Amino acid sequence: MLSIRNLHAGYGKVKVLHGISIDVPRGSVVTLIGSNGAGKTTTMRAVSGMIRPSEGEITMGEGASARRIDAFDAHRIARLGLAHSPEGRRVFASMTVNDNLLLGAFPRLTWGRPRGDVNGDLERAITLFPRLKERRNQLAGTLSGGEQQMLAMARAIMLNPDIVLLDEPSMGLAPILVEEVFRIIADLKAQGVTMLLVEQFAAAALNVADYGYVLENGRIATHGPAAKLRNDPMVKAAYLGGAH
Amino acid sequence: MTILLQLIYSGIALGMIYAVIAFGYQLTFATSGTLNFGQGESLMLGALVGLTLVTLGMNYWLMIPVVCLFGLAQGAFVETIGVRPAIRIKSEFGWIMSTIALGIIFKNVAENVWGRDDLRFPSPLPEAPIRLFGANVLPMELLVIGGALLMMLAVEVFNSKSILGKAVVATSNDRDAAALMGINTKLVITFSYALSSLTAAFAGVLVAPLTLTGATMGAVLGLKAFAVAIIGGLSSGMGIVVGGLILGIAETTTGFYVSTGYKDVPGLVLLLIVLALKPAGLFGKTAIKKV
Amino acid sequence: MNPMKKIAALAGLVALAAFPVLSGNPYYIHLVETIMIYAILLFGLDIVVGYTGQVSLGHAGLFGVGAYTAGVLFMKLGMPIWVTAPAAILLTAGFGAILALPALRVSGPYLAMVTLAFGTILQILINEMDFLTSGPLGIKIPKPALAGKPMDETQYYWLVAALLVLSLVVVHRILRSHLGRAFEALRDSPIASDCMGVSVYRYKVHAFVISAGFAGLAGSLYAYSEQYISPNTYNFELTILFLLAIIMGGRKTRTGAILGSAVIVLLPKLLDDIDLFRMVATALAVAMVAGAAVALARRMTTPRQIAIPVAGTVGLAGFSWAIDTLADWRLTIFGLMILLVVYYLQDGIVGFARKLFVQGRARAAAAIERPVDIAPDAILAVRAQGQGELLDVRGILMQFSGLKALNNVDLTIRRGTIHGLIGPNGSGKSTMMNVLTGIYVPTAGSVSYRGQSLVGRTPSQIALSGVARTFQNVQLFGEMTVLENVLVGLHHTFRANLADVGLSTPRYRREEAAARERAFAMLHFVGLEAVASEEARNLPYGKQRMLEIARALALDPELLLLDEPAAGLTAPDIRELTAIVHKVRDHGITVVLIEHHMDVVMSICDTVSVLDFGQKIAEGKPAEIQADEKVIEAYLGGEAAAAA
Repeated sequence: MLSIRNLHAGYGKVKVLHGISIDVPRGSVVTLIGSNGAGKTTTMRAVSGMIRPSEGEITMGEGASARRIDAFDAHRIARLGLAHSPEGRRVFASMTVNDNLLLGAFPRLTWGRPRGDVNGDLERAITLFPRLKERRNQLAGTLSGGEQQMLAMARAIMLNPDIVLLDEPSMGLAPILVEEVFRIIADLKAQGVTMLLVEQFAAAALNVADYGYVLENGRIATHGPAAKLRNDPMVKAAYLGGAH
Repeated sequence: MTILLQLIYSGIALGMIYAVIAFGYQLTFATSGTLNFGQGESLMLGALVGLTLVTLGMNYWLMIPVVCLFGLAQGAFVETIGVRPAIRIKSEFGWIMSTIALGIIFKNVAENVWGRDDLRFPSPLPEAPIRLFGANVLPMELLVIGGALLMMLAVEVFNSKSILGKAVVATSNDRDAAALMGINTKLVITFSYALSSLTAAFAGVLVAPLTLTGATMGAVLGLKAFAVAIIGGLSSGMGIVVGGLILGIAETTTGFYVSTGYKDVPGLVLLLIVLALKPAGLFGKTAIKKV
Repeated sequence: MNPMKKIAALAGLVALAAFPVLSGNPYYIHLVETIMIYAILLFGLDIVVGYTGQVSLGHAGLFGVGAYTAGVLFMKLGMPIWVTAPAAILLTAGFGAILALPALRVSGPYLAMVTLAFGTILQILINEMDFLTSGPLGIKIPKPALAGKPMDETQYYWLVAALLVLSLVVVHRILRSHLGRAFEALRDSPIASDCMGVSVYRYKVHAFVISAGFAGLAGSLYAYSEQYISPNTYNFELTILFLLAIIMGGRKTRTGAILGSAVIVLLPKLLDDIDLFRMVATALAVAMVAGAAVALARRMTTPRQIAIPVAGTVGLAGFSWAIDTLADWRLTIFGLMILLVVYYLQDGIVGFARKLFVQGRARAAAAIERPVDIAPDAILAVRAQGQGELLDVRGILMQFSGLKALNNVDLTIRRGTIHGLIGPNGSGKSTMMNVLTGIYVPTAGSVSYRGQSLVGRTPSQIALSGVARTFQNVQLFGEMTVLENVLVGLHHTFRANLADVGLSTPRYRREEAAARERAFAMLHFVGLEAVASEEARNLPYGKQRMLEIARALALDPELLLLDEPAAGLTAPDIRELTAIVHKVRDHGITVVLIEHHMDVVMSICDTVSVLDFGQKIAEGKPAEIQADEKVIEAYLGGEAAAAA
């Protein structure tokens, strides 16, 4: 569904990614883990178009419908079916929960993607996240961190996306909320949603993912099926040092 | 006492004009962090174009939507020529100077097309004053108040009910996140400038019958509307109505009780005081700096 | 100044002085006189626009204050120019200070509006207070008296020329001194300025006051020059003209100011003469088309880029042939010129010429007098006043509406140690850094440094008491050179004031020389002395980080706070960084280090504190922390702790 080849990206003078390659097959959950500053969020941003890569190729879709998206603007990539729930949630604080969700379906409502049943999807989404249902007319800025995270994820699936990028969904959340978030991710996986998950919390991420990539200083240190990575000492070293 | 009441009525009408112009500032500032230093000239062009149409025989009420369309086009022009290049090179100095420059050019063009003298705009409503609570108010002043409120309400409804309006609000909230929703934020910014000039042009044809219409009518209006936008807070709609009323009434009363020469002073002084004490405005929220 | 420049300056001076004698035409003498007067104002305006980087729309009003001070003092009290001119300078400077008040806390468009409002108020006041100023009637002033008789045009010209040269020298000295550097620091990074002890508020006021002083001088000279002043001169159009002059001539150069002044004075004359304008416009269009052809042939530009300037100049030429009189279109021409300059000539004519001719010649060759011997130990060794605590932080609570970024955190930093502060994203590390340096005021809790409380003190005060920092996102003064960046850090070593700088007293020259020497030594300390004259923004990223450290050390701190110094650095850079941090500690300076690079933290730090969710969850030696279950869980999540 998503194929990244030799991606180089950074911010102005700072080069963060030095040539990484990642594959996300359809229907799978792939996770990108690593300590802070390793380049996880930069990778997400380069994929969804928030920043332009300096080198490399990003392809979305498979077979005949595959297209290169590395030179596209973010809004165009979204309209192609890539949903990004960004780091820090970034919900629209002065708008209601309902409106936030509606905006997630913006391309569907403006002839960018097949319209389908937007209202029906909204009801389904809000049922999947019971906390949101109670607060549907509340302003998103007044929700707690955990609720905002739910909202960001629900907003992302409102696109009816081909692939969802989840950037640090657990950040700043208390452990009990982290559990809930990951339960929802597992639910989505069961429904067949393709996901690229970036997480600081390696343990929970590797639990829910099929495949994992470990990012260290802008390069892939190691990768493999999630089950194998769970016991790999390189993973811990990537976070807390001590491997070299 | 009746004089005071009359001054208050005129002040409210004047204040609503300021509020509508300030509303325009808010629109563009919310989505792009920039504003049009030539906003007063947008009002002036709207008034003059409207005058020409009315002089050519068009009905006042029919003329209004035509001028609004003109405003849309003029706003889009300002954004494309003046603001977009500056946003691209991330230069604040750039859009400040270029919107000032465009304002100067518009004013000069207006002087050459319509002449340097002030012109009379025929009033669409009877000129006989109405008595309200013992004091006189002109029907046109009531129209101004009503029209201004209606315009701001219309935009609010658009923002809250239509999906495009919601897209604009989303862009003001968080431009990057809006782009992730598939919203073309560059287009939203152009649109917000177009809308902002529309409201200014609309204000222009409303206020024109009440004052003299000419190439110079926009300059100080723009500055004082900025004062209103600051006093109210660049992010609060309620704030600019309150700010507009305060300023309008302060002006009409100063103009009468002190002298007409000094009538612009209270607004400007208020602007300085507010910026010195509470830069975010009376109703605004101070942003937390992240380092 | 190098010999070429000296000769050019001397030649210019001679030409200036000889002009009235050679020309003999009072009209032209008056014209050049006006250019000189505007130039004096522009020197001052450049301080605000070019150096502190703000748009001022109020200088026409200040110009008016200067003119009217002279006019009123003459009309009411019969004062001579030797009184009115200094009075104009002082009074206008005073107004500059008043203007600075609302301008303190704002910048950008808000500042522009403040200055516009201020200028408008000044114009209204001049117009309305007719008991003082005669309002719209204006004031007539004869030329000042010299030996009993009023001066003639030529004599007054020489007076103005002398004052121009004097102003130029004074402005040049100010801007080349630590004051000029402070102004530029304000523009490039207000936050870093404050944290280097250069208070943004204070220097903003300085900039406005000095700038207003020049405007006042220019105004008073203008009054005598025109011999009649009236309120409607000092309007928005004039203020825009002044801005156009600065940006067209070129910011941050005296030559640019003079050139810009010539443009705005001569241009209206040019526009009045339609035949002359047609010739000039056509010549310009031809030159532009020719230049574009050459540039395209040499592949220096693309058709798209060159299209607008070519279309613009050709259009202008065509326009000039189509209309009969240009005077009515003056403002449109000015507006178009502003647009042109803002988008295509950002450095002004002087800047453009410099790039054209100086390109390729190594800027490093530009004379920087290097001291012969670099003092070995420029970093003041801190005499450790006993062991013990340098920084005692208790119970810090930092709340942002609902969010507790720091929740009851205690932290004790011992002298002479390198103390690491780590934790996952959002744990509160940078917030703590900002609390310690005064950028945030904590909701509750105490911060005690050398026994004194830091809470509530400004970042500038905290910096000057010995707490220096670097920033997570590099906050260098990009447009200044590497050496100048460090010199800003050394601002606190200067006792010289405005008079010392203006007169270039021995005291000032000593302080400047000493500061340069120390700055060089600091650059040597971090290995950057070879790039001392490079612009900071052109340095590679790793070197930028080193420069930030050198600049911070210039504060002679006892406590150095490093915010993610290793972020984005390559392995060799990290090794260099580690070595430098060790050297710093060896001088007795205490270091607090926020880092994500665990290897760096583990290898340098003596103690490590770990934050999570705004609370301290562990503290101890690096090896202990690495094995601590709570820490592992905070970083990796629950189950990995079990696996570890």
